[in-house]
Amino acid sequence: MIEAFAGSGALLAGLVLAGFSAMLSFWAGWSENRVMIQVGRRAFYAAAAMILAASALLEAALLTHDFSLAYVTEHSDLSTPMPLVAAAFYGGQEGSLLYWALILGVLGSASLVASSALGVRLAAYAAGIMASILSFFLVVLVLVASPFDLLQITPPDGLGLNPVLRDGGMLIHPPFVLAGFASFAIPFSFAAAALLAGRSDAAWIAHTRRFALVAWGLQSTGLVLGMWWAYHVLGWGGYWGWDPVENVAFMPWLATTAYLHSAQVQERRGRLRGWNFGLVILAFLLVVFGTFIVRSGIVPSVHSFAVSAIGPWFLGFLGACLVFSVGLLALRSSGLKSGGEAAPAVSREGAFALQNLLLIGVIAVVLWGTMLPLVSGLLGQERVVGPTYYERATGPLFAAILALMAAGPLVPWRHAGAPLWRSLRWPAAAFALLLAVLVAAGMRSLPLLLGIPLGFAVASTVVYEFVRAAGRWRLAGGGWSRAVVMLARRRRRYGAYLAHLGLAVVVIGLAASHFWQQEKDVTLQPGQQVSVAGYTLTYSGLENRQLADHTELVAAMRLGDQTLEPARATYAGLGGQSLTHVAISTSATADVYVVLAGTNGDGSASFRVFINPLVSWIWAGGAIIIIGVLLGNAGAPRAAIQPVVSRVPRPVGAS
Amino acid sequence: MIRWGVVVVVVTACVGYLVYSASGGSSEYYLTVSELRAQQPATGDVRVAGVVQDDIQRSAGGLHVRFTEKDSTAAVVVDYTGTLPDIFRPGITVVAEGRLGADGVFHARAVLAKCPSRFSTTPYTQ
Repeated sequence: MIEAFAGSGALLAGLVLAGFSAMLSFWAGWSENRVMIQVGRRAFYAAAAMILAASALLEAALLTHDFSLAYVTEHSDLSTPMPLVAAAFYGGQEGSLLYWALILGVLGSASLVASSALGVRLAAYAAGIMASILSFFLVVLVLVASPFDLLQITPPDGLGLNPVLRDGGMLIHPPFVLAGFASFAIPFSFAAAALLAGRSDAAWIAHTRRFALVAWGLQSTGLVLGMWWAYHVLGWGGYWGWDPVENVAFMPWLATTAYLHSAQVQERRGRLRGWNFGLVILAFLLVVFGTFIVRSGIVPSVHSFAVSAIGPWFLGFLGACLVFSVGLLALRSSGLKSGGEAAPAVSREGAFALQNLLLIGVIAVVLWGTMLPLVSGLLGQERVVGPTYYERATGPLFAAILALMAAGPLVPWRHAGAPLWRSLRWPAAAFALLLAVLVAAGMRSLPLLLGIPLGFAVASTVVYEFVRAAGRWRLAGGGWSRAVVMLARRRRRYGAYLAHLGLAVVVIGLAASHFWQQEKDVTLQPGQQVSVAGYTLTYSGLENRQLADHTELVAAMRLGDQTLEPARATYAGLGGQSLTHVAISTSATADVYVVLAGTNGDGSASFRVFINPLVSWIWAGGAIIIIGVLLGNAGAPRAAIQPVVSRVPRPVGAS
Repeated sequence: MIRWGVVVVVVTACVGYLVYSASGGSSEYYLTVSELRAQQPATGDVRVAGVVQDDIQRSAGGLHVRFTEKDSTAAVVVDYTGTLPDIFRPGITVVAEGRLGADGVFHARAVLAKCPSRFSTTPYTQ
């Protein structure tokens, strides 16, 4: 009870502070009043502290089972294990918005602390924009979706957490994906502030890039964990269904991927200035758009979200952000002309530009598919597209992007000469070798014949770069230890290559598990066997188990010397809600994935068995990507980027 | 610069073609049961949303199922072989993907439940 009053108070104080910070920062930045800029910034820190306090209070209310709070009653109960009760903090609409504001407050504060090198005006405007975004969330939290609403009568127990969500995945996937969503606001704030301040030079790029990478890393982690969770819990043998909810998490990731690459073109060559602003802004707009369509329920999705009052608020916010961003870009467009000469098509910057166009193409395809029900519904009969659409339309674009990933890192800046074609022999050889092996093995599916060899070509480019660099430093003296030191010193570059390697591993896993998946439906008597793709499973019988909050009907299946236990759990406390527990036997080459479909009176049971080749490569590749991001950037001393100096003397007077 | 203009046009044209060709073959109508009933037999697959009635008949150990899907005014019998979503039971809203056969039965390729929301527990309290 007391938490509710204190929490509401903290949110209200946070709103006042954030609104104050926004107005003061804009005014002080405009008049370059250094004292007031400091005050505005501290007001932002104070607002973040208030949100932190409110979050702690909500968490305390959950952990002490204070069912006087509607939020606690609706999202937890006495039988829910404690870690999941704690996770209910971000498990519901209101709490997830509070968690979002918390991440924005904390990461935003960190980005402001680190922004001293940017010049007072830019930093002040960034604080103003971040405080404005924070104010929006706090308005929603205070007026429309407060997690601290009280119930008139305190119930003895809560409604509990949905059984599907009673899983370890609940502890790891939502926090990352929500934090990823929240953190896209920080690069946006600095980009918009740079535009407002009229500074399109490289200063904002270095700062923004770092926080864009934080957002990208969080979102990558969230996406991989989401796939992993869906695969382990939902029991359909897959991990990605091109559902609107998945698409809206994927699109900002794509836009930021494009930005992380094109930012290098600006750092090294001073080009693509307006484009870079556009990408950072696009990523944030996609986040707001995604949040709106997911939480308002206007697009049919298998994830049905509670109909709530926040839809119109997010639509208004999206409109405001869109008008602000487009207006700002239009206002400053004359100042965004890039210096330097245009890049030749075959060069590193040419590869980045083409990769950017292709990524924007993928975003366009996904956005169209996601919006189609809405657009067609307005024009006539509502139409939807399924996974086939997305696979057919994005497949060729992804293949082209992979080919660029294999070739791009080997193409020098500015222009390509003879060494280019020589260094391309490694990825080309890897591609040809894998293609030959697959064709010889009888594979005739085009997506498979492109996907797996391209994945290996990308990996071979990365390995070639590592070996070449290590060899060069080793020969330069100091042996292998020196080579390792040099790799560590240039970790931004080699961290990025590691992320490329991770993505190649993911791609190979995706292609293999998608195109080589086998499935079989079977009904077995105890003692009977089934063989799928060379794996023999023996059904040994059924068993009933009583657990703390549910009962389980377990079917034992022998696979070699392992026993798989696919089961159906029934939660009596939730109106007999039942839940399938998939049994998975994982190895480096394939997963055996068994779902208990049903049981009959005579002791026989029906199963759906999937053989999913190389699925574990997806998770391993995801881990390599994250390691690459961490090694490459976490706490890295900022390596000074040397702009590539034009080798041709410029004519006098040219700028 | 002109060369980059050409690249942009080519990539845009490719994306446009991919969207056009991919959506032509695989987009499906999203209908309610009454809309399905009102329509002429459609050529392609459709998705039909409706509420599961309490006449679920299972066979083949639960892998084959037949049930009635209904909205406020119309009903259709759905025939489906495969694993069902965990929350499948009378009273929930499902989306059946497939086509209406000449026998008047809707033969589903897939049955999707409106997934339990991570933002609400209401689907369970119904």
